[in-house]
Amino acid sequence: MNILSRRSFLSHSTKLGLGAALASLTDIPFVMQRALAEGTIGQPGPNGRVRKLLFLFLRGANDGLNSVIPLADPAYLTSRPNLALTADPLQPVARIGPAFYPEVGSVAGTYSHPYALPLGNGFAALHPSLKFLAPLYNSGDLALVHRVGYPKQSRSHFDSQAYWETGAPADSGVKDGLLYRAMIESGLANTSPLTAVSIGSSLPLILRGSKAAMTNISDPTRYSLLSIPNTVPGNSKAAAALAAANAARFADKRERDLLELQYKNLSETLQLFAQLKFDETDNTFRDDVATDGDTDWANANGGGYYLFPTTAEKNGGWRRTSGNRADKYVVPTSAHEFFERLKAASIILNNTDALVAGVSIDGWDTHSDQVDPKNDTTGQGSHTGSHAGLLRRVGWSLYALQKYFTRYANKCRWDDLAVVTLSEFGRTTIENSDAGTDHAEASVMWVAGGNVKGFEPGSSGGVKRTGVWNCGGDGDRVLPWVTGPTGSMFRAGDRYLQRNTDYRSVLGKIIRDHLGASPEQLNRIIPGYTQAGESLQRGGVQSKDNTPIIGEPDVI
Amino acid sequence: MVIHIRTRRMNTVTGSVRSLLLFCLLGGGFSGWAEEGSVATALASTTVSGQIDTSSGQERIQLGFDPVPATEEYQVQFAPALDGIFAPLASATNGFQWTGPVGTDAAGFYRVVPRQLSTNELWATTLLYRVAYGPTPDEEERVRQLGPEAYLAEQLNAESVPETLDTVDATPRWQRVTVTGLGSSSRLYLYLDGPGDVYLDDLRLVVGTSDDGSRPNLLRNGGFETALGTDWNLSPNLIGSARSSQLVRSGNASLHLISTEGGETQGSSIYQVITPSLNAAQTYTLSYWYLTSGQGARLTLRLSGSGIVSTHGLSGDANSPAPLFSKLKSGTATRADLRAWHVLRAIQSPKQLHEVLRQFFENHFVTQVSKTQDYFDGRGYDTPDPEYLSVRTEFVENVRWRDALLKPQVTFLDLLTISAESPAMIVYLDTVTSRGDGNNVANENYARELCELFCFGVDNGYDQQDIVQISRAWTGWRLDILDPANEFNPLAARSTNYLNPNATGTGLNANTNVLGVWGLRYRADRHNSRAKYLFYNWDAKGNRLDSKKVPARFGPPWAGREYGKILPARTGSAGLQDGYDILAHMANQPFTQEYLSVKLCRLLVHDGFAHGYDFADGTTTPEEELVRSCMLAWENAKPQGQLRPVLQVIFNSELFRNHDASLQKARTPLEFAVGTIRALRARKADGTYTAETDGYSVYNFMNRAGRMRLFDRAEPDGYPEDAPGWISAGTLAERLRFVQSALMPAGMEGKSDAGASTRVDVLGLLQSKLGSAALQDPVRVTDYLLATLFPAEGQANLQAYREVALQFLNTADDGVTASPFANLSPGGTAHDQRLRGLVGLLMSTQRFQEQ
Repeated sequence: MNILSRRSFLSHSTKLGLGAALASLTDIPFVMQRALAEGTIGQPGPNGRVRKLLFLFLRGANDGLNSVIPLADPAYLTSRPNLALTADPLQPVARIGPAFYPEVGSVAGTYSHPYALPLGNGFAALHPSLKFLAPLYNSGDLALVHRVGYPKQSRSHFDSQAYWETGAPADSGVKDGLLYRAMIESGLANTSPLTAVSIGSSLPLILRGSKAAMTNISDPTRYSLLSIPNTVPGNSKAAAALAAANAARFADKRERDLLELQYKNLSETLQLFAQLKFDETDNTFRDDVATDGDTDWANANGGGYYLFPTTAEKNGGWRRTSGNRADKYVVPTSAHEFFERLKAASIILNNTDALVAGVSIDGWDTHSDQVDPKNDTTGQGSHTGSHAGLLRRVGWSLYALQKYFTRYANKCRWDDLAVVTLSEFGRTTIENSDAGTDHAEASVMWVAGGNVKGFEPGSSGGVKRTGVWNCGGDGDRVLPWVTGPTGSMFRAGDRYLQRNTDYRSVLGKIIRDHLGASPEQLNRIIPGYTQAGESLQRGGVQSKDNTPIIGEPDVI
Repeated sequence: MVIHIRTRRMNTVTGSVRSLLLFCLLGGGFSGWAEEGSVATALASTTVSGQIDTSSGQERIQLGFDPVPATEEYQVQFAPALDGIFAPLASATNGFQWTGPVGTDAAGFYRVVPRQLSTNELWATTLLYRVAYGPTPDEEERVRQLGPEAYLAEQLNAESVPETLDTVDATPRWQRVTVTGLGSSSRLYLYLDGPGDVYLDDLRLVVGTSDDGSRPNLLRNGGFETALGTDWNLSPNLIGSARSSQLVRSGNASLHLISTEGGETQGSSIYQVITPSLNAAQTYTLSYWYLTSGQGARLTLRLSGSGIVSTHGLSGDANSPAPLFSKLKSGTATRADLRAWHVLRAIQSPKQLHEVLRQFFENHFVTQVSKTQDYFDGRGYDTPDPEYLSVRTEFVENVRWRDALLKPQVTFLDLLTISAESPAMIVYLDTVTSRGDGNNVANENYARELCELFCFGVDNGYDQQDIVQISRAWTGWRLDILDPANEFNPLAARSTNYLNPNATGTGLNANTNVLGVWGLRYRADRHNSRAKYLFYNWDAKGNRLDSKKVPARFGPPWAGREYGKILPARTGSAGLQDGYDILAHMANQPFTQEYLSVKLCRLLVHDGFAHGYDFADGTTTPEEELVRSCMLAWENAKPQGQLRPVLQVIFNSELFRNHDASLQKARTPLEFAVGTIRALRARKADGTYTAETDGYSVYNFMNRAGRMRLFDRAEPDGYPEDAPGWISAGTLAERLRFVQSALMPAGMEGKSDAGASTRVDVLGLLQSKLGSAALQDPVRVTDYLLATLFPAEGQANLQAYREVALQFLNTADDGVTASPFANLSPGGTAHDQRLRGLVGLLMSTQRFQEQ
């Protein structure tokens, strides 16, 4: 028996009145889907607003050990003789300070604060490129979950990215994306033109599926059509003709459902996006707080740093009365395109019904040059180089998102938003001969948002919670610091940081407790989520590889 | 294939509309009245419904049915009884519906008989989509005559196809150029983009989209028969230009344009102010003749603003890749030049399969030219430009692949070796600085991707131990400046030819003072000289156990084979052999056979082939069977690993020849852009083509429509082959913009999307294929375009597009007012834009995304 495609299902069900009772929500007529959906994904909460999610995919595998650094681990220095950073001598153990750290050198375009920034738990520190995370961390809006992975970790970028995106490690039977399924569960995927959106070159697997189209916008400033003649009436004539042609029926072929869904999505979202202001001239979002100690520039220009550095002129303190200062860039100039996309994602989340938005940052496959020999004048390790530049994107992104959704957003505010980073695996604990690191296992996830449980001071001046998971010592009251068998995070003798938390536990926590999935929905969004052997929710020994994991970190 | 419906009047229905007799046939789930059980299979993808319609006041029977692939005509037949004789009724013309009168004996059986493309017709169209970058109007005709088998044989034996695209024709001859566009301004500029000279004659500018010589020339002294005077004004950089009576196309004189430096606007051109002024909304055609030469400068004739523009090299073919090839060979080409050369060859080459395969392997052995450029940038280069140096590495590996692919017995190992030796790869996956001497931990980047992406496929026959062992072999593979004679000798010393032989100190041996080419140079003192154990099993304590064996799932002849390999400790230059031994060992393992066979099947058949079939479990699918056949062809060839026997298996397979391959893939951005130009590119009587691009502007589109930056991919898996990797709302918007822009006349708002040099002459195409008499006939125009643009769809399946097209042709630009196409005069602006709009529309549809 032939399996009905969606297209043919639609044509038959409307024409012939076939009322098929099929298994999943997508096969129920659209008008009924929302009514039948469980949970509250996409439903306004008590504040009248809807909870949303923004993901940043760090493709290429982020070196977690050079992001949230286990500074006090005795094996750190010996494993990474060229990459290792040392603690800031000014504040060697104290909790992270303000976002202003003194710079050394003035290498154009390179932030060169050369010391790791201690997180105050006596063990972990942030890479200096992440200095702009200080305000988020200190206000308790940032959770850092280290040693994240999944059982039988694949060290292939492409397999591992696919597992993160499908939410089903090593299960090739799951073909659609984890957040796609979350949107299907919301019941809105086929009734709202926009549920999840990515800004990038293609729709990522995490948003792909066969029953509904999620949206991918390549360049928001070019999201419109041309015609011949290219006039207003000419365009509407062409659009009408194309719509008529798109309604035509054809024999089934492999890619026709996909084309039909995406053409439909294109026609439904063109108008929607045309009303949003994506142009550079509308990029006026600024931060009036003296950033990086640079009151000079903010005062001189009367508005402060731009949140989305999309051009050199809008990148940190580049423009000042005393001349251009490229060394005051907050991010490398190669990051402008990414911030263009991040800006679009933010505007969309705040101005449309989209529940999820995502942007990728590429280039994390740092097999070499984590120390930049040309610019490392201090001999102080990986504060320069390729990885440092990538981390600056993350640091400034989260900083800017907090400001944007606090100061400029109304439909989606910082409290309504969770930001999460994804990255397929971590990198070897021991550096290679190219001052780089190779493919390994566990890495780190950043979770940020007004709804996130991060650092929290204790009642008597101590620390109730550090906001750092799996990379902390005495200050971490919530979860124990779990070491590898030798007592070192680095498990001296091999090169692979072992995981202590499953990425699905972090995403599961967010999807249920932030987005509003019911436990049953979560079980469908992340297959097998509550199965005992997986230990994803409550922790225990994950049966697939007999590794103890902590279950859900309490980040929401 | 047959579709049945049983009709039976239902007397119980009352009311004005009596709907009844719905026998909806879904798959094989019915029984009892169909005549043959075997019919059920044919019904698997179709449904039929029927009803009696009384809305016209008269009872009529209506049948609806599902489309059947590649159907040219649906014939409805009727029989009063199942065992009776089915007699044809009138054909179904209204899409997938048929309406007819209810006879006195209404009970009976109807069937719909689709007439599909013949097996050979279908095979031929699929070949044009897979062997080639899509059909051209001329190739469709040629392959129809030649037959699919002969066409395939021709393309597989690319070395026997004559082709001179990269050869500059040095014999001077007069070449005509025609270009159409809007009259954006009344100033015409003539200039070269650098120093050089060219002869021009018989410039004409006329109203309309073509110039048959009957309309008046709007230019003064276009033949240069009289003194240049005030008709033609010379800017300082062109002040040496003059009339010539030595070399003339017609009459007694031509213009000898002599440029001392490049021009770009009125102040650096030879220009004429045209009187009376042109109309900015009117379409004009500029034509001229120039004397070809081998010079590198490019000639531009254009109106001020963004109307008519013509820019091309001087080789005689306006968009010949030959000058680009010369530039690439001389090491002075940019990335843009390289990509333009690649695109022009993809459009123009008669060796289409050769181009498709080269792109496949360039993408399989992916590298990133910007990373190579960074490498040279850090090594003291300013002159020559690091971009030139990095582009040369891409060019060299591609030329080597091209040459290899022209050998009848070319093997996968040949291509793999070229990739491994390429400086582009050595930089890309960090081999260049990897060290294995002393305590250095070798960089694993190349070793991992050699296993995962270039040979075996992910988690297929290797593990982390193997990657560590292999990574130690690729140490000491460095780059250096070599004497050109030693370019492919990794053991040669650094070149000792100097730009300034008298330089002293470190200046003598500085990179910028050493003459030669960058190539692989082996450094024994950086190599890990210890023994290496590949594809062995190890215990938890690190003791080596037995060899790995090919898993049972491969079945005979592969299952159970031991494929461990020990490389002895090697010192000195012998250590170089480690790498070559590994390549030779891996190239023909069943894992490599499987991985490459699946990738080729995905490229050539459809995306639904999987890795990891169990060939031994007693069950199979056509896809699994085809992969196994490919592997056997690979295994049994002597020498092993030849590509052509594998390709033969695919192209001759049942899967490829039937509907399972036809139109089952979405086009990548490269395939879409090249396919768009090719679909409209016919050769006209004067030797020019009805669709052209200079190759450069296509890159902008490919970058926007999914970041397909040819030769510059950051991720080592190459650009995807599957549709979801390319198709999203955002990229579709770019695709639609590209085709519309490509179809636009020069000067229209938005033309820059496809580039001013991307030019389509729809009228010329129709004129040469249909003749002048059909140019105002909307039906003939529509039918020709549908058949040309969608040759595999089946013309009966295109009825909805046909109706939309006719409506489009017969409606004014406001989309409302009736405006019969027959009333528009060919050559006029309205006729031109109506036609362009229609082709743009048809190419904006879902079906044009497929191949």
